Amino acid sequence: MNRTLRFVGVRLAGMIAVLLVVSFGTFAVFYLLPTDPALMSCGKPCTPENLAVAREFMGFDKPWIQQYFDFLGAIFTGRTFGTGATAIVCPAPCFGYSFQQNESVLALIGDRLPVTVSLAVGAAVIWLVAGIAAGVASALRRGRFTDRAAMTVTLAGVSAPAYLVGLLGILLFGFTLDVVPVSGYVPLAQSPVDWAWHLVLPWLVLAFINAAVYARLSRGQMLEVLGEDFIRTARAAGLPERTVIGKYALRNVLLPVVTVFAIDLGTLLGGAVITERVFALPGLGGLLVDAVHQVDLPLLMGVSLFAAFFVVLANFVVDVLYGVLDPRARVS
Amino acid sequence: MDRRDFLKAVGLTAGVSGAGALLAACNANEQSGGAGTVTVSSGGTLYVLYDVTSQRLDPAKSSSLAITTSGLIHRRLTAWTTSADAPATVVPDLATDTGRASADGKTWTYTLKPGLKMSDGTPITSAEIKYGIERSFDAAFSGGLGYHKTLLDGGSSYTGPFKGGDLASIETPDPQTIVFHLARPYGDWPWIVSMPAFAPVPKGKGTDANYDSSPIASGPYQVASLTKGVEIRLTRNPNWDAKTDLARTGLPDEIVYQLGQDSGVIAQRLLASSGNDAFGFGASFVNPAQLAQIRTSPAAKNQLVTSKSGALAYLALNVRRGPLANLKVRQAFQYAIDKTAFQIATAGNADLAGPVASTLITQGITGREEFDLYPAPPNGDVAKAKQLLAEAGFPNGIENLDFPVSTANNRADLAQALQAALQRAGIQTKLRPLDDDAWTAIATGNDDNAYDLTLSSWQPDFPSANSNIQPLFGTSEIGNGGYNLSRYSVPEVDALITQAQGTVDPAAAGKLWAQADRRILQDAPVVPLIYTRNSFLHGSKVGDFVIGEFPAYPNYLQLGLAK
Repeated sequence: MNRTLRFVGVRLAGMIAVLLVVSFGTFAVFYLLPTDPALMSCGKPCTPENLAVAREFMGFDKPWIQQYFDFLGAIFTGRTFGTGATAIVCPAPCFGYSFQQNESVLALIGDRLPVTVSLAVGAAVIWLVAGIAAGVASALRRGRFTDRAAMTVTLAGVSAPAYLVGLLGILLFGFTLDVVPVSGYVPLAQSPVDWAWHLVLPWLVLAFINAAVYARLSRGQMLEVLGEDFIRTARAAGLPERTVIGKYALRNVLLPVVTVFAIDLGTLLGGAVITERVFALPGLGGLLVDAVHQVDLPLLMGVSLFAAFFVVLANFVVDVLYGVLDPRARVS
Repeated sequence: MDRRDFLKAVGLTAGVSGAGALLAACNANEQSGGAGTVTVSSGGTLYVLYDVTSQRLDPAKSSSLAITTSGLIHRRLTAWTTSADAPATVVPDLATDTGRASADGKTWTYTLKPGLKMSDGTPITSAEIKYGIERSFDAAFSGGLGYHKTLLDGGSSYTGPFKGGDLASIETPDPQTIVFHLARPYGDWPWIVSMPAFAPVPKGKGTDANYDSSPIASGPYQVASLTKGVEIRLTRNPNWDAKTDLARTGLPDEIVYQLGQDSGVIAQRLLASSGNDAFGFGASFVNPAQLAQIRTSPAAKNQLVTSKSGALAYLALNVRRGPLANLKVRQAFQYAIDKTAFQIATAGNADLAGPVASTLITQGITGREEFDLYPAPPNGDVAKAKQLLAEAGFPNGIENLDFPVSTANNRADLAQALQAALQRAGIQTKLRPLDDDAWTAIATGNDDNAYDLTLSSWQPDFPSANSNIQPLFGTSEIGNGGYNLSRYSVPEVDALITQAQGTVDPAAAGKLWAQADRRILQDAPVVPLIYTRNSFLHGSKVGDFVIGEFPAYPNYLQLGLAK
């Protein structure tokens, strides 16, 4: 028990350290670039006086190291921009305030997160099931038509750009067949049916692109496992083939797949930039693109941190899951 | 409107491209108005499909053109009317005329139309206008078109009504009268009061940032709902009085903005025009990569509208550095450039790209004079260029000219066309492609020695030659974020600018601007390339979709829908 607690404690500390490094890195990189975030709020014509006013109001007039510590401090104490009747208050935990979007970064992320989670989780379920099924089926029918066909399709998936697949999907299913909506998002709480209906095409596109890796990975893994001694032993012991494959072999196939999956899902939760764009889904990926385009440092910081958080969390989950799936890897 | 939008407005950035290849190709057609084929009537819902994710609706923060989004919600003292075959004109909006100037051009008086109300029932009086303008000075609401901030007497040091109290240079002797005292004579003041900050705001309202999502309306539409990054829904403002409005027809019952749409998908939706898409239009111009294909689709004949003219694309020559400080060298550039090649690089052919430019004042601006100080075939006169270079002391050409260029909006490719043309005359340039932000930092920064030449594009903020000339060639616009990219500073020109700005009579001012245009081009600080056309797509049931001579954008205030 103590060991487990210590394991979790060490990992949590590691996660926070990684997030601090990411935040500092993002901040530093942003300030190394020859851009001025205040320029976006300067107006036209942008006089030096106007620029100074905007810079001071947004807090960009201070040295960047101090700005970084202001950012960290605001997470615990909140922050106020400007003074008097028009001051903008960002209450703790304040992960920054986006002057371009007139909203706290946390609220913006909160708005967009359900979209990205809906997209990522739905797609992940499809690609995981389809990918592993295709991989296992290919391995069991190695060299035959099923194998060839599955691997050809996955090759197409792995090499096609998301933008192209998305547009082709829209063209085929949206315009030519006119069976699904081509863009937009309906919240789950508003109408579960419409929610799924608007997401089905983006799910399939993302799944098509991602499933390939899983199909190939589980095929290779399955072939390797099938050659192992314990499978031969199981077969020799007269266990039904279903048990051999479904229980012993598949469990070993899943090990590396889970690792890749958790990290893929974590990355995707940080925003699927291109897919969100093509289907006009207002998710975190779109928010990140806006932040970059509008030189919106607070938003960029917030979304990057959030994306990093998911990746770090995914790694943590993988470590824990590994222990569950593979007794050999347990802390002992 | 954010900076990215502004860049878009001056032609600096492009949307996501690549969809073009997927669009069907059939037969070609000429540029078409299309508007005539749709009979419009009152009612219906208009859909605006936009690739950007935010719109500035707070009049203090808005920098949008008077004929687009903010004009639907906010009336100002004056407004614009646009026409496909005449220059834009300024007309009275909330005021009874476009302004009465004192003899010295420093005091401007406006009388408000009686009986007008905002969407919340507040009567529109001089106090609401004054408060709206004062509000734009507060640091929390910066970012909009702010020409008035330095023009109003005492404006440079004013901090807004919440901290700075009252701005004395705006007088409101009675509820119907408002008087502006300017720091210097300014003849284009009637255009300045058409800008968003001159919209009324009820006193005491708009103290927080949320006013950007729910502004109180004076125009035909009010904000019914706004989902950030996704949708803006405008419904009728019951207090808008059509009879008093010369600029807006207010035909649709509702206007819905769909934000964050992919530009390739927008084009497909509009061409297909199924369901609600027939009542939509694309708010961003169709990028050149898509244009060639879209134009050949049968639907495009009635649904693609291309402007007659547009922003001036130009090559800026840094007059403060190296060989380009020599007038003869800069004149050689005028002949060495191949404007035909530039047109082809821009949009595939001359017709789609836009007409060849020889003046700084763009088409559709009152007072513009057509002239060409460096007459040559559109593809240049290489022999003449070589001769001028030899006279300048460079018989073997010039090497190693630094040519930074933004990678946005196909600029790097356009620059290659220019590079190849210059090479014909023995001028070797080294292209330096940069991210748009990095390019802006260098081009508008304070270092005079940061580059030899660069490519840019300019569209005036308001339809006066003033807005063509002063921002690009005034000494005050060098560095500090200013767009005098040639770093051109000639006292005679500055004096001419001041004189023209101070001239109240538009005809007389126009003559002075035309004179400035010629005078500047004698020094050849830039090579005018083309007046870049913009193309827009609309659904099959959108009518009155007209792009005026200026600006090269559709007039949102006049759009109507078929039944």
